[in-house]
Amino acid sequence: MSSKSPSERRLHKELMSLIKEPPPGVTIDTESVQQNLSEWKINIKGFEGTLYEGEDFQLLFKFNNKYPFDSPEVTFIGTNIPVHPHVYSNGHICLSILTEDWSPALSVQSVCLSIASMLSSCREKKRPPDNTLYVKTCNKNPKKTKWWYHDDSV
Amino acid sequence: MGNCLKISTSDDISLLRGNDSQISGTQPMYHQGEHYQRELYSSTSASTTRTPSSNNRQLSDENQVKIAKRIGLMQYLPIGTYDGSSKKARECVICMAEFCVNEAVRYLPCMHIYHVNCIDDWLLRSLTCPSCLEPVDAALLTSYDST
Repeated sequence: MSSKSPSERRLHKELMSLIKEPPPGVTIDTESVQQNLSEWKINIKGFEGTLYEGEDFQLLFKFNNKYPFDSPEVTFIGTNIPVHPHVYSNGHICLSILTEDWSPALSVQSVCLSIASMLSSCREKKRPPDNTLYVKTCNKNPKKTKWWYHDDSV
Repeated sequence: MGNCLKISTSDDISLLRGNDSQISGTQPMYHQGEHYQRELYSSTSASTTRTPSSNNRQLSDENQVKIAKRIGLMQYLPIGTYDGSSKKARECVICMAEFCVNEAVRYLPCMHIYHVNCIDDWLLRSLTCPSCLEPVDAALLTSYDST
């Protein structure tokens, strides 16, 4: 234990609890984590009764050694990127808790729940209006984007 | 409505929140915290020794002033020892480790408690309570007024 850094210790605890008691619709790709504790692949299901019912999505969480003081870098990956007004087609997510509203009391689990709830409250499947320009010009790391949050309704 | 537009010019939100670590990647803030903690809490931090970072960039004057102010403010936040009473939180939500009896904990004005090392690292980045997001400085200023 003593050889682990504080961030590794916390990630380890979170991993154990996610494996033991995963929130509904959330599963962790344990193989990816075994290879690298700082990159987690997490599968989430679109909830029943929402526009994303029956769809499966994959999130990539990247942690740096200052986690949980620094927020994780979270993006959708894979072939199915949800069509949502806050999700760019490159997988970047416009969600304030991933940058300026991050708090170390948040966790992988709470981020997954926020993203699931963001998807569930969507009324119309569409991409952000500036999708084309953003995807062409953005940094690979969504945390480098200066996000402008102004709609909590979806 | 509903857009997530990217703006190219920087705004003042980071200044307001005093939390610019994410935007400009300023590691120095973290650094200063480590030095500060080593000096002040060397006796209590045996269980959570930090590995010194190899990055030794100098702080800008502006950041140094900001951090000095923060450290000054943080000293008004009381430190107590965890007594294990059932009403209190059992674990520090920052490191997710359970508090041990007699361990040093810092109280924020909202009465949330954290390990001293854990919360001080966070307060150097953002003067808010991680659990309830209550601004720590505003609450402190109010308490000055009322006394």
